[in-house]
Amino acid sequence: MSRSRRKNFNTVDAASLARWIVLTAFLALTGLSYVYLTIQLYHLGDRKKALENELASLRTQNDVASAQITALTSRSALQRRLKEGYLKMIPIAERDIVRLTIPMRNDGDNAIQPVANKRAGR
Amino acid sequence: MKWNPRTRCALVCLAFTALFSVFSCRLIYLQMVKHDEYAGLAAEKHVYKQTIYAERGAVLDANNEVLAHNVPVETVVADATHINDANAIVDLVANELKIPKGELAEKLQGERRYIVLKREVATAQANQLREQLRAKNLRGIYFEHDATRIYPNGAMLCHVIGFTDFEHHGIQGVEGSMDQYLHGQDGYRYIEHNRAGQEMVLYRGQERAPRDGYNVHLTVDLNLQNIVENEIDAAVREYSPKKATIILMRPQTGEILAMANRPHFDLNQRSEARPEQMKNRAIIDMMEPGSTFKIVAAAAALNEHKYSPDSIIFCENGLWMYGGTALHDHKPFGDLSVRDILVKSSNVGAAKLAIGVGDQKFYEYIRRFGFGERTGIELPGEISGLIRPPQAWSKISITRIPMGHEIGVTPLQMTVAMAAIANGGKLVTPRIVKSITTADGKTISSLSPVVLRQVISPQTARQIGNALRGVVSDRGTAAAAAVPGFTIAGKTGTAQKVDPNGGYDKGKYVVSFSGYLPADQPEFVGLVVLDDAQTSKPELNYGGMVAGPIFSRIAEKAARYLDLQPHEEIRKALPVERVALTNASHR
Repeated sequence: MSRSRRKNFNTVDAASLARWIVLTAFLALTGLSYVYLTIQLYHLGDRKKALENELASLRTQNDVASAQITALTSRSALQRRLKEGYLKMIPIAERDIVRLTIPMRNDGDNAIQPVANKRAGR
Repeated sequence: MKWNPRTRCALVCLAFTALFSVFSCRLIYLQMVKHDEYAGLAAEKHVYKQTIYAERGAVLDANNEVLAHNVPVETVVADATHINDANAIVDLVANELKIPKGELAEKLQGERRYIVLKREVATAQANQLREQLRAKNLRGIYFEHDATRIYPNGAMLCHVIGFTDFEHHGIQGVEGSMDQYLHGQDGYRYIEHNRAGQEMVLYRGQERAPRDGYNVHLTVDLNLQNIVENEIDAAVREYSPKKATIILMRPQTGEILAMANRPHFDLNQRSEARPEQMKNRAIIDMMEPGSTFKIVAAAAALNEHKYSPDSIIFCENGLWMYGGTALHDHKPFGDLSVRDILVKSSNVGAAKLAIGVGDQKFYEYIRRFGFGERTGIELPGEISGLIRPPQAWSKISITRIPMGHEIGVTPLQMTVAMAAIANGGKLVTPRIVKSITTADGKTISSLSPVVLRQVISPQTARQIGNALRGVVSDRGTAAAAAVPGFTIAGKTGTAQKVDPNGGYDKGKYVVSFSGYLPADQPEFVGLVVLDDAQTSKPELNYGGMVAGPIFSRIAEKAARYLDLQPHEEIRKALPVERVALTNASHR
């Protein structure tokens, strides 16, 4: 090889090239990762919102069901059903009640004896 | 100057430096000096403060039965700047929400960003509308979660529970007085929307969670309330009074166990209620109490040791001229003991007891019993009644006030006064709120009984109590108030109604009975008041004949519910005929 030809020949600095390639690849990867992660964050946000909506919907359904149960088991509703004949209740008579304590005696006031008013019993 | 390449190059560089310096300064000015202003302007365009509503607390009775709670609903709102097809939206929303199209179109005109289209839309209906909007790709309509107040028992206990306005602020009853606890604290969240109006979760800003309202537990027992409501309804059917009030109270603690008024209204249809139906007459209506007030005169006389229960007072054979006017008894009485003045309900006797005590002292006792001041119950709108000081009394006031005329008291004040007799002379503050808890059951506040003062000595209270037992006997004015198996103490009242044009209205009475059971160890004090009851015969329109039997029926059922033990020796009932004869001859 002549001297002049050897002079015009450019050698490739492989190490430098590799460094640039790695750096470019790293930057590209970083950029792509940023974009990917940002998109993922949006997706996760949407997913979070969807789950929140689902949870709120379940809570709402639960509250509506609770309200319906309360309405159906309220005293007024039960009395209405009792009147309509859907429910049957037998009142407990006084003679069916067993008392475990001894009845109190009222000896203090012997001058006045309260009366029983049968008319009062509706 | 020599324009060589180096100079020209330097000049160009300098020009660029100057230009970019200007840009930099402008950027610094915009980004730093004007940052807040422009950030605010930008935020206004796309950042919203979303309110997260706190759930209002429930109202429960003493046994945790729900009296008032919430049902989820939605508020449909519009953002006029987001609407993409106004005509289609008007057609769809008007049809779904049953709003006139013209009204809706008018609302959506302009550039307003928050337009409430309809409140309290059921969740199912809102979901249906939401789906249709999505299917037709219509934008600008939003849904806000909300709740509406539901009262499962309708009209029962309506005056005590009260109700809320559309902004969930309590405006009557416990809903009003306990609003600060029931209401809770709304939260918020700063959010950003995209062009489609959807929230961008990534850009959520500051956030504060809501604090739900506390639950309020009442002292009212719905079982007892139910007994009272049934009886007051029966009384209204039987006697058609203009107004009626029944109160049950535990004398030792002041707990209100039941409270009912007529007329009343359905809490779930409150918009249809008339104002007179909404009044809690137990605390805002003033009445002349009639003879039930004689307990105050007798208590003052005994407590001041002016008389003993057996002291004999001449009752002028039923007609006493005092201060130039005649004072009548319903029956001529000669000598009566202090005890019998209450048993027979002698007006002359009660007047002489008050005169014996003296104007000033008697007035003091009236005030000590709590008349003329608010009881302090946790209900809004309570009045203090009308008690004039002795300086404003006429010559005959001292004879009229002991029989419950010339004064105005509320039914609750009368109940509290009777409770003081039942409670050994201790005046307690009536209470309707038992405790306040969080949604998970943690107690925030538990209200304890408040003894205001010792009005009379326990001995005097016992003496009055013994006399009041006689009232509910075959010798007294309220034999019809008796309950088989129990000793009852009580007092009847029959007050002629005041004519708005002056004087008293003939033939119109406020009849009442106030008593407690069992007389030895009272479990509850009750008051029954009927205003202008219509009886078949005018001579039957007396407290003992009208209010007494109502009290008897309530007391009998309440005693059974509270599992009170009846006395064996008084189980035998007197013949009905005897009771009827006894009643016919007494007030």
